[in-house]
Amino acid sequence: MFNRISSILLIIFLVAGTVSIGIAAGKAGGNARKGKYLYRKNCRECHKEGASAKDLSPADKTQAEWETLFAKGAHKSYQCAAEWDKRSEKDLKDIFSYMYDHAFDSPSPAKCK
Amino acid sequence: MMSGIVKRPISRRNFLKLSGAATAGAVVGSRSGILHALVPKSSVAKQGRIDKRFSICDMCFNKCGLIARVDEHGVVTKLDPNPKFRKSRGMLCARGNAGIKQLYDPDRLKYPLLRKGERGQGKWQRLTWEQALDLAAEKMQRIAETYTRCGMLFMAGSDLQSTFVHHFAEVFGSYNVISHESNCLLSRNRAFLDTFGEVPFADLLNCKYVIMAGANRFEALVTPDSIDIVTAMQNGCKLVVLDPRYTKTAALAHEWHSIRPGTDMAFFLAIAHVLVSETLYNKAFITEKTSGFDKLAEHIKPYTPEWAEKECEIPSKDIRRIAREMAKAAPAAIVYPGRRSSDYKNSTQIRRSFAIVNALLGNWDKKGGLTVAGKVGLSSPELPEAPFYEDNPEERVDAGRAKMMFDEEGSFKHTRDAVIEGKPYPIKGWFTYKTNPMQTGANREKTVEMIRKLDFMVTVDIAMSDTAWMADLVLPAPSYLERKDPISALQGVSAGACVITRDPVVPAMFDSKPVNWIVSELAKRLDLGEFFDFTMDSYRKAQVKNLPDAMKAINKDGVYYNKSKLYGRYEGKVFKTLSKKIELFSQRYEQTGLDPIPVYTPPKSVPEGRFRIVVGRNAYITQGSSTNNELLAELVPENRLWLHPDPALKLGIRQGDTVEVASTVGKERLKVRITEEIRKDTVYMDSGFGAMSKGLSNVYGKGACIAAVLEDHSDDISGNMAMHETMVAVRKI
Amino acid sequence: MNTKRYGILINTTKCFDCKACMVACKVENRVPKGYWRNWVKNTGGAVGKRTHFQPGQCMQCNEPSCVAACPVQATYKQKDGLVVIDPTSCIGCGNCVTACPYGARYRDPVRRIADKCDFCRHRLIRGEEPACVETCPTRARVFGDLNDPASTVSKQIKSEKVIRVINPRINTEPNIFYLAGTQPLGWPEEPRLPGNVYMPKSFWKTY
Repeated sequence: MFNRISSILLIIFLVAGTVSIGIAAGKAGGNARKGKYLYRKNCRECHKEGASAKDLSPADKTQAEWETLFAKGAHKSYQCAAEWDKRSEKDLKDIFSYMYDHAFDSPSPAKCK
Repeated sequence: MMSGIVKRPISRRNFLKLSGAATAGAVVGSRSGILHALVPKSSVAKQGRIDKRFSICDMCFNKCGLIARVDEHGVVTKLDPNPKFRKSRGMLCARGNAGIKQLYDPDRLKYPLLRKGERGQGKWQRLTWEQALDLAAEKMQRIAETYTRCGMLFMAGSDLQSTFVHHFAEVFGSYNVISHESNCLLSRNRAFLDTFGEVPFADLLNCKYVIMAGANRFEALVTPDSIDIVTAMQNGCKLVVLDPRYTKTAALAHEWHSIRPGTDMAFFLAIAHVLVSETLYNKAFITEKTSGFDKLAEHIKPYTPEWAEKECEIPSKDIRRIAREMAKAAPAAIVYPGRRSSDYKNSTQIRRSFAIVNALLGNWDKKGGLTVAGKVGLSSPELPEAPFYEDNPEERVDAGRAKMMFDEEGSFKHTRDAVIEGKPYPIKGWFTYKTNPMQTGANREKTVEMIRKLDFMVTVDIAMSDTAWMADLVLPAPSYLERKDPISALQGVSAGACVITRDPVVPAMFDSKPVNWIVSELAKRLDLGEFFDFTMDSYRKAQVKNLPDAMKAINKDGVYYNKSKLYGRYEGKVFKTLSKKIELFSQRYEQTGLDPIPVYTPPKSVPEGRFRIVVGRNAYITQGSSTNNELLAELVPENRLWLHPDPALKLGIRQGDTVEVASTVGKERLKVRITEEIRKDTVYMDSGFGAMSKGLSNVYGKGACIAAVLEDHSDDISGNMAMHETMVAVRKI
Repeated sequence: MNTKRYGILINTTKCFDCKACMVACKVENRVPKGYWRNWVKNTGGAVGKRTHFQPGQCMQCNEPSCVAACPVQATYKQKDGLVVIDPTSCIGCGNCVTACPYGARYRDPVRRIADKCDFCRHRLIRGEEPACVETCPTRARVFGDLNDPASTVSKQIKSEKVIRVINPRINTEPNIFYLAGTQPLGWPEEPRLPGNVYMPKSFWKTY
């Protein structure tokens, strides 16, 4: 039981750590331009007007919201969890950077394109 | 009128009159035989069939609607306003009327030109389009292979077709895209975005009290603002102008203060001080919609009107009075955001103080206050996803040089520095479209230095601007009256947002080709043709897929209005800021290590015997579009240096003398205009003169170029150019 | 008896010297380089005092001194009130140019005859207003038939305080009116008439 608690704590710690590292790095640390490419190639197919999922562009959510959505493990409950699993850590970081850097309340909000 | 039998002996005059040739000479510059032949003799008295065709003016950025009159020979004889175009209140200004002299300018670029000889020598070889495009594509490919795709820099001006240049840059794979905006209003955008989450428009028409600090709306025309402020004033609106120069706006305002240049922040912090200390702000609004009030109240305690008087040279009693008057008129009271904010190294923070006062007045999203952009409803056509080039660097070349640049805009000044330094990576190619940084980018010598570092520079323009003059390859584009453009949204403040487009009024002259064709041809040659697999018609169709009535209205009225409410658009919405409210105290600035509330620093003091140079414009020669225009050049053939009589006397300078104005980066010569309309410690010059291109025969060598004299300081936060930090010496020549 | 009397009322408090009227006229009427059919005068120069701008052009006067000065009757007043020039009769002597108190005329160097504003007669025929009126950003000009009491311009002239800008010594009865308060005033010059020209006594106010 002690092991269980400590591993839960460890997980919480890791999650919090990942998220806070994200903030501390300022611009989320990934390659936002690659992230734009990856997002459009992999996610936009469904996340656009008239397609199966909600039309999503970076400016549709605040930076805080993107952080929550991209927190480690958060995607497990999403409909497209399988798609997320296909992407590497680096890819996800890049996509997150793209969304975060151009979020609703970011210094360079994405213009509705 | 004309008698059939000529009773008097045939004189040359009568002969010319009978053949109808006499009146034609006045229409087009009679230099060019080709053009003369193109303009058949049409006399004003007998008017045959006239076709009226819609277009959108391009003589400046305002894009006012117009109706072109085309006679039976296919010649555009007049440009009339479009009475249905609300943004321009159905009018056309002097430049708009002069548009036919841009269309029929004998100096226009006619065919592709390849530089022969040294840059600036003006030796060109004519190429066919095939040759020119093959060459450009080959050069760009070479640069991409040697220096990565980011080795190409793209700069496109404010134009309905610039979107295609940006699309090309994206599929080509360069992150280095800049525009004129970082020589203009980026710091204003930065400040208002960071305060309100959005850049607003001023509803001048319904306003009751306006302060314009530096903005010169009766000469730097903005529609509908320039017109609406007159209407508002007729309806009792008070206009207060702060300007070191007695501009036409100052001359027509109710109140003008010759503010010491660079101290606007002191003035507005003091206004904020009065509004807070005398509790003249709207308590409910502040509580509901803003964050950081307590911190602001604490911060502005020392910024009293008495303190401000010493800084900005405006009496404290006036500052207090103005603050109280504004509060009384609120929420229909505005600190006008202005446009060009490329003045000081802290121009973003200066505009933050404008924004904060607006917030205290509670005028957000209200009639007579700051309003937000209206929804238009255009869609973006779906194009194939741009490829990703793995060898590309991670960032733009100017990244990190300013504290909070706009990612898509960057900074002209910082990019130029980076190109000259070759760091963080080299840029060896430059594609410019409808932009003239040789005239507008402070420190012209640096622009020349930058160009010398390039392997290849291609300029697309309609005239041989100073920038084109320095390029390797010059490609002729048609004027706005000859183009078919994509559809575009246009904000009009209280006139409402609208949808516009252009169709050719007359066919493209000479061998000119629109830039959308140019970039799609380049794309084909670079294996990127799939990204340009559309026609203008199919593109437009996709754009209006959610606006079924748009094309019909555009064809019938020249414009389409999508009804949407003008005020109260923020009801139930949050602000696009970290706190989700209007940030009097900027959380992001605090996080980034910037002053979260503006902290005043005095401007550099003017050294003894020198002057601060400030720049601006008149209502006739404004941007590149209006240069070399025969009609407009007649109104203002050259610019002059404004100098106050007292220092003029000391320097032995008399009215009309030629003077040399010199800074650490260059010197220019021009005639002086001695006037009390400028402060004793300041001199002024219109922008848009002193062309070095011999391809602009109406204006070559006339007056002086501001870019040659201005030092290139920049705003710390946005990277916007700071053009009013230069000190100059003036001497008689 | 004139059937119409075209006139313009200008509210100069709305004018900010954009010169749209000048360029619109020049394009509309093919005015040659170096010449203008209309102008914007100003009181400029006094820093701190409000500058007034005052657009103007041929005033289509009721008692035109230019018509009196013409030796060949090439210029005359029409029934609609417009003072026009017959290009076939004009001999280009220039008498009318110096006879105008407003300096509204010039000698066209290309056609070598006198020229001036004719309220865009070719546009009036098409039912359009003069180019200067149509293009003005602030709608500072109101154009219409002063003989028609129902026209906007007549109504406004009746209801507002209006003045004519005239020389203190003579009054050619111009048909461009200005809202009172306009400046500059007193700038029209005395007409310089040829010696053998007859002007009615009433023309000279101080005679």
